[in-house]
Amino acid sequence: MRSSPLAAIQPQLATASVTDPAAFEAAVRPHYANLVRRLVVVLGDENDAQDVAQETYLRAFRSWDRFDGGDVRAWLYTIGLRLAFNQLRGRRRWLAAIQRIEPRTWTDPSDPDLWAALRTLDPRTRTALLLSAVDGYTQREIGVILGAPEGTVASWLSRGRAALRRELGRDG
Amino acid sequence: MTDTDDDLDMRLVALAARAPGRDDPPSLSPGRRRGRFAAPLALAAILVLGVVATAAGAVVVQTMAEGRPGIENPGQPLAGANMECMTPPQAAAFLAAHGYRDVVWQVETGQVTDGGGGKGPSSTSEQATAPEHGYVIPASVAGDGKLHMVVDQRAGATGVGACFGMPMP
Repeated sequence: MRSSPLAAIQPQLATASVTDPAAFEAAVRPHYANLVRRLVVVLGDENDAQDVAQETYLRAFRSWDRFDGGDVRAWLYTIGLRLAFNQLRGRRRWLAAIQRIEPRTWTDPSDPDLWAALRTLDPRTRTALLLSAVDGYTQREIGVILGAPEGTVASWLSRGRAALRRELGRDG
Repeated sequence: MTDTDDDLDMRLVALAARAPGRDDPPSLSPGRRRGRFAAPLALAAILVLGVVATAAGAVVVQTMAEGRPGIENPGQPLAGANMECMTPPQAAAFLAAHGYRDVVWQVETGQVTDGGGGKGPSSTSEQATAPEHGYVIPASVAGDGKLHMVVDQRAGATGVGACFGMPMP
């Protein structure tokens, strides 16, 4: 059983900016499960996703006073997905250093073709597709979350869908 | 096969719903602490990767890779049930009759397209009871032990599987 993210936050209470932990908890709690699901698809590893989700909630807790009061889900995704990309970069470097292939990843046996096709996309393209198709964010909103220009997001989405269709057509 | 954007999006929605999303975060109140303390991200990543680098770690990681086939997949308990052709309440009753008591209904609302060929606005919510209408998209039992079912209520949705293209229930 993995530890839960807010458990990791407890030691930070003394130095945190949150003056009303109950309000913070009420705001962020509903988004935890879906954040982990997105991170699993982005990172391909359930344990890594849990770790990043924990760090996301820790950072959110620390910076709660700077949250603008808007879309808390988008705010959490922004923190979590950027952490995930940083972790992916670090993992690649580490794996390259020890000359190992990727660790075993989460797989989706219900739709293995789609999962395999998704894994061929770079992480940001994969994430942009998820945020668009699954979470319903606009290209502008995705750009804010991922820190990319709207036109770049449009390109990721267009090329990502084309790549998926191509991969699925090849396998189907 | 050739997927339209709508088909592709619904497959993405279903895949994302099947991804494990366990662990509701615990209370923040110091007096109600629960759960274990977690390592900071950097340390955790190093630990995970360090474990992977060992033979024992390979076994550990292998046991963690959980496959969660969809409940209607061949060999699964509800193979061939065609729940995608049921209304959400019918699917809920069907699931209850087959012993599935802990079901999460992930409801997709909004619209499939924005009218100009682009992606329409939509949102996702989860609820414990089946909504009254929408296309049912069977998913799978996730790591939290709950069966996740997707219901697509988006304007312009087409349904999936055996009832693709049928009027929205």
